[in-house]
Formats: sequence, C-alpha cells, structure tokens
Amino acid sequence: MSLIQLRGATKVYRVGEQEIRALDGVDLDIAEGDFVSIIGPSGSGKSTLMHLIGCLDTPSGGSMVVGGQDLSRATADDLSRMRSREIGFVFQSFNLLPRLDVVGNVELPLIYANVPAKERRRRAEEAAKSVGLGDRLANRPSQLSGGQCQRVAIARALVNNPRILLGDEPTGNLDSATGETVLGLLGELNRAGKTVVLVTHDPGIAARSRRVIELRDGKIVGEGRP
Amino acid sequence: MALRIGLGEIASHKFRSFLSMLGVVLGVSSLIATMALTRGIEEGMRTFMQQMGGLELVSVVPNEPGGLMFEFANLSPGRTLRDAVALKGAAGLVSHASPELEHPAVVSRGDGGGGERRRARGVFPDHFVIGMHGLEAGRFLTDLDVDRGTRCVVLGSSVASQLFPGTPVADVVGRTVRIGDSPFTVVGVLKLQEREEQARARKAGRKVPTYRWDPFRQKNESVLIPFSTMFHEFRSGDRSENATPALPGAPAKAEGAPNSMESIRLDTLTVRIGDLRHFRAALLQIRAVLDLTHRGVDDYDLETREDWFDRVESSVRAARLSGGLISAISLIVGGIGIMNIMLASISERVREIGIRLAVGARPRDIFRQILVESMLISFIGGMIGIVASLGLIEVLKLISPTENVPVLTLDGILFSVAFAVFAGLVSGIHPALKASRLDPITALRYE
Repeated sequence: MSLIQLRGATKVYRVGEQEIRALDGVDLDIAEGDFVSIIGPSGSGKSTLMHLIGCLDTPSGGSMVVGGQDLSRATADDLSRMRSREIGFVFQSFNLLPRLDVVGNVELPLIYANVPAKERRRRAEEAAKSVGLGDRLANRPSQLSGGQCQRVAIARALVNNPRILLGDEPTGNLDSATGETVLGLLGELNRAGKTVVLVTHDPGIAARSRRVIELRDGKIVGEGRP
Repeated sequence: MALRIGLGEIASHKFRSFLSMLGVVLGVSSLIATMALTRGIEEGMRTFMQQMGGLELVSVVPNEPGGLMFEFANLSPGRTLRDAVALKGAAGLVSHASPELEHPAVVSRGDGGGGERRRARGVFPDHFVIGMHGLEAGRFLTDLDVDRGTRCVVLGSSVASQLFPGTPVADVVGRTVRIGDSPFTVVGVLKLQEREEQARARKAGRKVPTYRWDPFRQKNESVLIPFSTMFHEFRSGDRSENATPALPGAPAKAEGAPNSMESIRLDTLTVRIGDLRHFRAALLQIRAVLDLTHRGVDDYDLETREDWFDRVESSVRAARLSGGLISAISLIVGGIGIMNIMLASISERVREIGIRLAVGARPRDIFRQILVESMLISFIGGMIGIVASLGLIEVLKLISPTENVPVLTLDGILFSVAFAVFAGLVSGIHPALKASRLDPITALRYE
C-alpha cells in the first residue's frame, strides 16, 4: 500500500452562498520514497491538496489514508499527532519563530512530541549540523540569510525523522543559486529515503522530481515522469 | 515547557507584560494591605479587650427568678460572700473570685481638702487580678488587711493625682485620706490605665486625647479598701433586705435583722476562669455551686464578655469582608486587563500559533500555553504586588490610628497571590480557547 492514498477526495469551501470545489474527486497514490511535484496555476487546488497531504485538513468527501491511517474523519488531535510523527513542512516564507535561535526553532517539533529537554537539544543540534548550520546554532532568524533560514526550516522538518517532507514553494523566496542548493538538499534527502512532495508553479523545479502531477480546477489533468 | 515558553514570551514583551500586570499588582497589594489593616484593627481590639479584662471574666449579676421560682425567691440569700468562698473552694475551674461592696462617699485628703464624691469599694486581694491592675507605688491590699480590717486604701491613678497634685506617687504612699469621716492610710497607687493612643500622645508630649466613653475611667478612679473594713465601717448598719430563711433547727432571723459580713448582699461579684479552654465547663461549675448556695433559686445570672467579643469580631469580619471585596474587584479588573492584553497578543501571534500547530502542537498544547502565560503574568504581578504592599503598609502605618498598626500576615499574602493566579487563570481561559481553536491553515496564511 502506498504511503499516501486519496480516493475521490473532495474539498468544498462555502463562501457565503457560493460553493467552491477546491478539490473535485482526486485519486492519488504516492509511494514511499517517491519525489513528487504538484504543479498547476493558482486556484487549481494544489495548496488544498498539499494541506490534505500535510494533515492540516481533512477532505469534505472521499477518503484519505496517510501512513496507513485513515484520516477521512480525523479529529484535530489525530491530525496533530500525524503532523508530529509523519510530516515535516518547508514553507515558502520559512515560518520560523523570530524570538527563538536556530536550535530553538529546530527543536520545536520535539517539544510537542514530548522529547526530554536534553535529548531535544542534542537532536536539534544534530539536525542543524546535517543541513550545514553547525556554526549558526545560537543565531536568530533575523541574523541569517534566506537560504540559511530555509535550511533551518528543513532541519526543523527533519528533526522528528518523519517519512514525508512537504515543500510549499520552498524556493519561492530565494534567488536561483540558493534555491538550487535547497533543491539539492531535498534531492539528497529523497535519495536517503524520505518521501518528498513539492508544490510549485515552476516547471523547472518540477522537472527535478521523479513524478509530476498537474492540477487544474481541482482535478488531476496530467501526470508524467520527466 | 509551557512555563519556559511563557517566560520567554513575557520577557520579550516587557512593557506590555508590565502593563497587563499592573492591575494585578494594584489588586494584590491592596488586598494584602486591607488584610493587614483589618488584622491590625483586630489585634488592636484584642489588646484593648485584654486590658479591659478579657474573656476569662464572668460577672454574677442579680436576676428576677422566673416562673414558679418567683414564689421561692426569698429562700435565697442572694449574692453573698459565701458565694465567693464557695466558688473559690468548690469550682475548680474558677481561679479568682472578687466579691465587692460599694459605698459612695466624699474622699478627701487627711486635712479635709480636695474632697470629691467617689465610690469607695471594699475588695479582696483577688480584685487586683480581676481588675488587671498594676502598681505604680506601694502595695496591693493583702489577705492580712482583710483579716484584720485595716484602714488601708489603694488609690487609682487619677484619684491620687487629684488629691495630691504634683506629689510623686511614691510620696503619696503613706499619706492619709478620708473616706467620709474615716481616715485611711494610702498603701498603694495603681498604674494609670489608658488607651494606646493616649499613652503614645503622653510619651510624645502631645495633648492627651480624652474620650466621651473611657472604659478605664472607673479603674483609674478606684478607691479600694479591705472588704471587712468596708463592712464594719460603712455597711454593718444596713438592714438585710429579707429574712434569711429558717433552716431546720436554727432560729429564724427576724426581718430587718442586722447583716453579718457573710450575709450582706454583694454589690458586685466577679470571677475569673483559670483556663479559657474549659470556659463552658467552668460556667456549668459556677452554676452548680451557685444553685447550692442560692438554694436552687435562679435569682442570679452569669454575664460573660462573649457576646461583646462576638459583636466586635463580627464587625471586624465585616470590615475585612468589605475591604477584601473592594480589593477583589480591583483584582478582577486586573484580570480583565490580562485578558485584554492576552487577546491582543494572540491576534499578534496567530502566525506563531499556526507554525506551532503545523509542527505537531495539539490544540490543547496551545490552550495550555496561553493559560500558563496569563497565570504567569498574574503570578509575577502578584509577587510585585507583595513588594508594593510592603510600601503601602508603611504608608498606612503613618496615617492609621496608632492603636491599629497594620499587621502583615503570611496567610494574607498567600491568599492574595492565590487569588491573583486564580484571576489570571480565569481571564486566560477565553484567550486560550480562542487561540486553540485557530485553524492551522488560516493561521499560517495570516500576515
């Protein structure tokens, strides 16, 4: 069975009288260890799909199974547990906490996984070193460059040792050179066994993955292997 | 963990946190100060009551016998010296008994000058214990004085200074005074009894305040002579008010027969209970003894100070309650302040909450964090409030009536801080709920 499995998944938002079908019957399987890009124009539903895969939300209809767990009717606590164990997020705008230093930001997921303080610190430092930030442990995000910030975010995503890494336009705020290193890092992690799912509108980035899924109007309209 | 996050949050917004603490600081300090103040009033009352003669005193007062007993009223000899002797001898819980006879007379110096109408009292040595008298000079009356019926007198402080103005008290001892026409030798002068603020004013050289109702006046105007002397000198001519009823085998006394010292009716009879823990039992003992000496006629009643103490205590309680209520209201206002700031800080921190949710925080983690933060703010505010209350109490000490110096108590402090933390808890619930119900997706998108 695949790591992520969606069957007829829909997501419907109500805005006043209007119903917006952000996702409209999506069937999708992502195998463990795959490197998938989801592309599509804005409003195509790729962010919504990403939120479902990232266990930030549940589908309005259809079924969704992540890591063997049926999340079609999951509670907020179930979703939190999934995010804590199985998923690491890398956002376009980094989403670091400005008051915490690198170690503080990286260890954040471990706090909510009830890891004891000492262990937390050790694992956070280890993760920061693995993305090349060993000499920046006590710096705050404001003292780091964009590329460094994104590496902090990747370290944070990795620290819980999740099976799935989700990137929401992870290079969107970076110049192409630093974007390249971040993509390289993600590729490396994928080769090390992580399942990587990227959401992007940049076909060039999508071309770096092994599988590209194209969305339009909430439906999968194309799939290919570059 | 939530504790550390909360501390970091408070530390990184020092001014904002301080503002939200301010209400709690004021609330806690005024609550502590109010409790200290009412405690001070209470202590003042207590020392005052102690000076007045404490709870231990029980007065035996005459009382119209009720109901059927009325018929037998004249079976009872009334309050006599026998009561006092029997009480001291048979009621083990009674430590002192002071029977007294009074005689209104002009008290003047030996040469007849300075005469003023006063109430001379014939007493036993126990009187000095029951009246809580201290000696300024000389001695009290002794058992020997009573046995022999000596012509010795102990004067209250204001009597001594009225009769012998300008004379040092030590020299008043040994002088002669006249009670009516009879000369007495002064053997002792009592200590001046006064309220604390009078004593302070006297010490500071200020004008000594006088009061319309001065509870110590009677004590300071004492003219005390031995009980026996009082009887023989002034009261032996009294006719008994009723016949002493015939006892089997004893000839009945005719009505109006002269009194003996044993049969004369006392003007006052006061006893002191040795141990307050056995107050109720002591009252029962006293009743048992008196029922015997009064031949079963309940023509007496026991007056205790309990009712009076109860009244005083209930008024102190009322003062404490109203003061506490006002402070509690200011604490609630402080809590609302915290709630305000927490709500504001949450809308500022929506994105942070979104991030925490995204990395695996459960809604209840967020709830707990906000709650801990608001409790921390109120706790720290409470700590500052304690320090502030110390200053406030110093100020109160300067302006409050000196009798009621505020007393800082540990339970007052603990209660205030506990209440502050409770206010923080309550006012944190709404913001915490709001924060924990944020949708992670919207929170992450929030700019």
